[in-house]
Parts: sequence; structure tokens; C-alpha cells
Amino acid sequence: MGVTCVSQVPVAEGKSVQQTVELLTRKLEVLGAEKQGTFCVDCETYHTAASTIGTQGQTGKLMYVMHNSEYPLSCFALFESGPCLIADANFDILMVKLKGFFQNAKANKIETRGTRYQYCDFLVKVGTVTMGPSARGISVEVEYCPCVIANDCWSLLMEFMQSFMGSHAPGLPSVFGTKHDSIYSPSDTMVQYMELFNKIRKQQQVPVAGMR
Amino acid sequence: MAAVKRCVTHFVKQGNLERICHCSCDCYGPRKDADLLRVGLQQGGQAAAPAGPRVNDSDCFEGTAGGSDGPLGSGPALRKQPIPPCAGRAPSSALPRSAPVVVARAALVGGRSKMAGVPAVRISIESACEKQVQEVGLDGSETYLQPLSMSQNLARLAQRIDFSQGSGSEEDEPGSAGRAWAEPGEPEDEEGLVKFQPSLWPWDSVRNNLRSALTEMCVLYDVLSIVKDKKFMALDPVVQDPLPPKQNPQFLQLISKKKSLAGAAQILLKGAERLSKSVAENQENKRQRDFNSELLRLRQHWKLRKVGDKILGDLSYRSAGSLFLHHGTFEVIKNTDIDLDKKIPEDYCPLDVQIPSDLEGSAYIKVSIQKQAPDIGDLGTVNLFKRPMLKPKPGSPHWQTKLEAAQNVLLCKEIFAQLSREAVQIKSQIPHIVVKNQIISQPFPGLQLSISLCHSSNDKKSQKSASEKQNPDDHLYVLEHNLHQLIRECHKQTLSSTVMPHPASAPFGHKRMRLAGPQAFDKNDISSLQSNEGLLEKIIKQAKHIFLRRRTARTIDSLASRIEDPQIQAHWSNINDVYESSVKVLITSQGYEQICKSIQLQLNIGVEQIRVVHRDGRVITLSHQEQELQDFLLSQMSQHQVHAVQQLAKVMGWHVLSFSNHVGLGPVESIGNASAITVASPNGDYAISVRNGPESGSKVMVQFPRSQCKDLPKGDVLQDSKWNHLRGPFKEVQWNKMEGRNFVYKMELLMAALTPC
Repeated sequence: MGVTCVSQVPVAEGKSVQQTVELLTRKLEVLGAEKQGTFCVDCETYHTAASTIGTQGQTGKLMYVMHNSEYPLSCFALFESGPCLIADANFDILMVKLKGFFQNAKANKIETRGTRYQYCDFLVKVGTVTMGPSARGISVEVEYCPCVIANDCWSLLMEFMQSFMGSHAPGLPSVFGTKHDSIYSPSDTMVQYMELFNKIRKQQQVPVAGMR
Repeated sequence: MAAVKRCVTHFVKQGNLERICHCSCDCYGPRKDADLLRVGLQQGGQAAAPAGPRVNDSDCFEGTAGGSDGPLGSGPALRKQPIPPCAGRAPSSALPRSAPVVVARAALVGGRSKMAGVPAVRISIESACEKQVQEVGLDGSETYLQPLSMSQNLARLAQRIDFSQGSGSEEDEPGSAGRAWAEPGEPEDEEGLVKFQPSLWPWDSVRNNLRSALTEMCVLYDVLSIVKDKKFMALDPVVQDPLPPKQNPQFLQLISKKKSLAGAAQILLKGAERLSKSVAENQENKRQRDFNSELLRLRQHWKLRKVGDKILGDLSYRSAGSLFLHHGTFEVIKNTDIDLDKKIPEDYCPLDVQIPSDLEGSAYIKVSIQKQAPDIGDLGTVNLFKRPMLKPKPGSPHWQTKLEAAQNVLLCKEIFAQLSREAVQIKSQIPHIVVKNQIISQPFPGLQLSISLCHSSNDKKSQKSASEKQNPDDHLYVLEHNLHQLIRECHKQTLSSTVMPHPASAPFGHKRMRLAGPQAFDKNDISSLQSNEGLLEKIIKQAKHIFLRRRTARTIDSLASRIEDPQIQAHWSNINDVYESSVKVLITSQGYEQICKSIQLQLNIGVEQIRVVHRDGRVITLSHQEQELQDFLLSQMSQHQVHAVQQLAKVMGWHVLSFSNHVGLGPVESIGNASAITVASPNGDYAISVRNGPESGSKVMVQFPRSQCKDLPKGDVLQDSKWNHLRGPFKEVQWNKMEGRNFVYKMELLMAALTPC
């Protein structure tokens, strides 16, 4: 588990999501990356139940429960600005028991699926973000396995991403800013995914107004 | 009599008989139970009726109480005969013992009876039937006090006797014993005259009896001691009448001798018969005991159980975690075909074991690596049983060796079954062949690994076939041993705490796997926790490694023996893994080891590859091909020569002008690349240029200053004579004609020759 950067690649002009993904993967294959199977990251949203909230807000806090196929036996639970919990896979069953306190917003389930490529020390995952039946965007996750300190390898990651993403290479993720010299952990990856999904969720609501 | 207390509830008087109460109340009233003590008082000199139920209890004794004299003719005052403890007789009724309450009173009420002429009263003392209740439990059950034993009882009673107070013969007591004897009549009279006072305690007469007995004993003792002295008293034998003379003394003597001899002979014969019977019995017993002691010994080593009238044992590894479906039961039988008359053979054992027929003989697993067989049809049953019967350990009984051999056969069968199962199920690039008792697989191209189960029963015919000439044995004993260890590890896995939780309340599963979730293990971490390699894969990997290691060693050794300059040294490390070994290869020149040590290679021999780590940090991975390693080593040797020149130049003070490990000039080498170096002498006059290739060998050229070359074309360009000091053309050195035993030595001589003093 090395330093990971999750970013979104905008859909190319005049092309569909699938075609853009194909463009990216072809670039990677030309670069020399080998395909190593598929990956999946999904996220479910839970509201704190109306009966338990105080006078804070209307919907209370939102909790996200995420899974990542890279860590098949784990389950991540995080609040928007709060802590991230890494738990066993039994956490999902626990959430069922906590139905009284956390209610599942089933419509907000979002996930990204795609292929996993390995290029020497880099792991690249290009996936299609879907919410329900519709594809909403493209997520690219680049991981540099040997390094665990974020600030040490950011420039290398940037360079690599520019080689196949071109101008769409992202800027420094917000989690890196707070990290300084501490060790990168999988929960940081999940925070990045959560932010990406929220962005995509907000994005698509603009053109498709009135629909959730 | 006024002192008599009477139990209100218990007093019953029947005529002359009075029943005596022996309940725990402090009275002397009678009780209505059957086992009463009856004291018969009769008047008129009749012998006392036998006391009541004669209790066959060990602490009963019968006595005659009360004074009796002449009319009775009962002799001395008290005659007591303690009844020997009636151990042999069962009590007529199980009479419990309780603290016997008293009763040695000859009850006389009022003045009705007189002591004078009172007949001897026989007193039987028995204990009451009922035990005392110690406590009553909450559910109504009663716990009884255990009655006192005979000695305890007697002690208790004796304590009550106060020897300082007597009745009757008390005044005489302090006197000597002789005086008591001298006046036998007196105590009787005195006792007779004294009105019988009911004593305060019932044991008065007992005490008196004891005192008189003591007196008598003392008298007897004194008499005997005096007689022994022979000074004042002497025993006089009674004169016997002489026997009448015999008529025919010899005849009678003969007869009497014969009779006595016959009697003696009878006794001796009886004794001899008894002895011989006991010896025979002893032997029989010994045999019996031998079987049992052998069985005990057997039990110390093997698990036995009794089924019906058979004794069965278990020689399988099931209790150690094996899942092989073989019952592994053996039977223990008694060896009774022994003839007592004949001499018992040395190795006779009363116990014999019968092992299942398919586990007879001995077996081993043979693992060997051979060149690939040209035709698969050539495979037949491998009957390469060559291992001789193992000699049994001295001191271990024959059943132990038999059982151990059977267990070994079972283990080998299990190993082979597991291997063949995996060979069939597991998919691999080159499928494994399973033929009868052999598994054949191809670890490397051109190579064949065969694992076979060699089982020989003890029949004669298998011995014959084993004597054929076999191929040179390639038996890898290490792998056979490893197979045994691996199967034992599999057994332990089934018993490990991950499969069977210890303690029983612990959760299932590996401890680390439970942490996999919260610590976000990725796939690599998870797969490292779970190892699911089968036995066959493991043993093939080990075989590959062994083969690769052997071949590497052979390559290095052949190179070392073939090439003398430079020299190859291989230092193999002692500590290896089943899958990895390492060797350090040094290429040096003889005599210049300290200077020329730049080529040092660390070879890590793995399962399929050899990884070479160079001293300068390069890491090269070689495949299992023998040629690759050889080529590599040859190229390293050629590079060494050039490196040696470089080091030598430093030592000799020559300057290195150019150096290249891989020159692009000159003929192309088929193995590796040629290297070249140019060094200049300290004063610059000469330069030596060396080009060394693995195939083309070394080429040494020397550059002379222009002034030394005679055949230079004179031209118009160089006018000054100072240009003559520069170095000019090259001349090749005939290296094979140089003095010196190796390249570096020759080079040193050359350099020395070209360095003017």
C-alpha cells in the first residue's frame, strides 16, 4: 500500500464515457503496463436517523460506508470531515442492526469499476463511475507502491500521470496537505474516493435537474 | 441399694432375673430388647445359667462375677477366660457396637439375696446393638458414630479401672506375692463374709481378677527366677519307671528303624512333591506374568484396546492428525505354542502381534532425478527395492520392530496416495504422469523426476527380483526425508489451533486473518498468510532447487578445473534453505589475490533461477540453463584480467589512460564482450594496451617512443627532434612466449621491463 492519488478525468469532447476509458487504457498499454484484472470501489450513504438528531441540522450527519476490492476483507466507514474507520467485512451486517440510528439512502449508492494495470512500481486503476444504471464519470487512481510518505513522491506521481493523462493530471490532493510526513494509509485513499464521488454526484445533478 | 437408680421406663423385674438396661441412661433398669444382658442369679450353688445371647463380638468376654466358694467348687475367686477374638465366626446377627454400658452388677435388691453361698455369677458382656447417632441430616438421614474397635474399647474400659482401690484383697496387695499364696483361703473368706456392697462402678470384680492374676504371675515369675538360680530351689524330675527290656532288640530295632525311616521318607517325599508342584506352578506363573508384563511394555509404546476377548491396537497416525482411510489395526495374540519340556528359545516372546496383510514387509519412497526417458511406454513397475532389512535395534522386542515397519509402510502409502491425488488434480503446465507406483513429472526440460513407492513384502520371490542389476542409484534421500517431514506437518495442521480451537471457546480461523479487515490487508498480504501449496508442488520445488544447485556446482567445478588462469574460488554457505542456497564465487589470479579482487560474485540459487549480485552492484538473473552460467563466468574471467591490469598499474605506478569493460572495436565475441585497457609508464615513454575477450583471449601491445623505432617513415611534418620523445607505433607482444605463470605475472614483468630504473 503506497501513496495513492485519485482523480477524475473529464469525458473527452464528443465521446462517451466508455470511449474515453478505452483511450486511456490504450495509452497505458502502449506505455507497457500489464493488465491485472479488475477493481471495484463502492460507496453507500447513511443518514443519522431523524429521531436521534438534535437541533443541529435537517439531515444530520452523513456517513459513508465504502468497500475497495484492493482490500477485500475490509470495510471503511467515514464521516465527511470526521474520522475514517477501517473495519472487518462484518461491519455491513452491523449497519443492518443499527437501522434505528443510521438509515441507508439507497439511491445514493455510487461505485466505480474498471481494470487494474501494473507498470513496474505503479498501479493504475481506470474505472467508470456509475450511480444506478448511468455512468457519471471516469476515475483514475494511481498508486506508487514503494513509497509511503506522501510528500516524498508527489512529483514522481505527477510526472507519471502526465505521461498518460496529459493535461488532465490533477493537482495536489487535499489529504496530502494535512499529511506532512506521516505514513500514508488506505483510509486516505478512501477519503479521496469519497470526495471524488461527492463531486461527481454534485456535478451530474446540474444538467439533470430535478432528478436525484 | 439406695444408690441404685432406676430407669423409670426400663425397669422390669421378672422373678429372679433382672434385666439390665444398657441404654445410655445412667440407670440399671432393664430394656425390652432381645439382646439384653441377663445376669442370672441363682441361689443354691447352681452354676450360673449361661449368659444371654453369647455375643460373638470381638470385644465380648465372659466372666464369672461375684464371689463363689466352696459349694460351687469353682475354685479361686474369679476365673476369667478371655474369649479369643472371634474373628473367624460371623456374628449371628450384625450387632452394632455401641459404648457398652456397664453391667457387671449382680443385682441384688434389698436383703433378698445373700452374698454368702452366692453362686458364681457368670457375666456376659455384649455391646448394644445400636450405634449412636452422631447427627441427623436435614433430610432426615442419620449419621452413626462408628463403634470403637476392640482395642479402643478395652482401653476405654481399662481407663476406668482404678488400681489403687480394690475390694477384698486390697490390704494384702502391698504385701509380697508369696503371702497371697500362703493364704489362699483368706481372701475368699473375707470376700464371702463381706456383705456384697454394690460398688460404685461395675468393674470391681474385673479389677480384682486382674489384680489376682497379676499377683499369681508375679509369684510364678519369682519362683521361676529362683529356680533358675538353683541356689534355693531346684526342680526335681519325677522318676520314671524304667522301660521293660526288649526281647529281640535287633529285630525290633530294625523294625523301628525301618518305620522311622519310612516316616522320614514320607515327609521328605511330601516335601519334594510340594516343591516340584510349586516350581511347576512358578514356571506357569512366570509365563503368565511374562505375557502380562510384555503386554504392559507393549502398552507403553502403542495404543491398545480390548474388544470382546481380543486385544486390538492402533498403529495408524490418525490420532496425530492423519486423514488417511486405513484402519491400521493390529491384533495382539498370546504365544502358546511353546513346549515346556524343550528349552525355551532365546528370543521367545509370549506375545505376538498380527499386522494387517497389506502392511507387511517394509517400504520406502524413492525420489530420483534422471534424464528424460525416451519413451513413455518404457515405464513399468518400479521394483527397485534395494534397501536391506533393517536390523532390529538390540534390546527392542521383535513386536516393536514389526509394528514400526508396518507403521512406516502405512506412512509411505499415505505419502504416495497424497502425491498421486495432487498429481491428478492439480493443473500444471506439463501434466504429471501417475503409473502404478510411480509419479513422473518434468521439473526442467530434458529432466525427469520420479517418485515411487517401493514396497516389498517378506516373500521369497521379491528377494530374487531385487538382486537384478539396477541403474546407478540417484536416490535423493534428502527428499525422501523431507516428504516424511512434510506429511507430518500436514498432520499437525489438522490438529493446529486454527482448525481445532484451543481452548474450545476460541474462535475459528487464523489469528492474523482476523486482523486482515481492520488493518486493510491487500491481496499480497492475505495470500502470504494462507499457504496452499500441495505436497507435490513443494517436493518438486525442492527437487528443482537441489538439481539446480548440483548443476551450478558442477559448472563452477568444471570451469575451475579447466581454466588455470584466472582461478575460480567458490565458497558455499553452510546455512541454506530448502528453496535457496548461496555461493560466493571469487575470480583471482594466483599470487595477486590482494591486488586483483574486483570480481566477486554472490550467486543466490533459487528454485528456477540463479541471481547473481556483482560486487559493483549489478544484479543479473540467470535461468536454469547451464550454458548461461558458464558463459557468464567466462566473460567475468576475461574482465578480471583487464581489471587486474588496472590494479597492477596502480601498484606499479603506471597511469591508466583508458579503460573499457565492453569495447566496441575488434572482432565480435560470441560470449559477452571484450574489455580493454591502456596504461602508460610512469615517465610516459611506453604504453601497454591490453584487449581481452572471453573467446579471443588476450592481446597485448606495447607502444614505444618514436626514438626507438627504426622503421619510421621520415616526413617533413615533424621537424623538431623533441617529437621523437612521443610514443609511436604499437608492437604486439608474443604473449605465449612471455615468462610468467599467469597473465598478471607476465604483465608485471612486462611493466617492470618497460620501467627503466
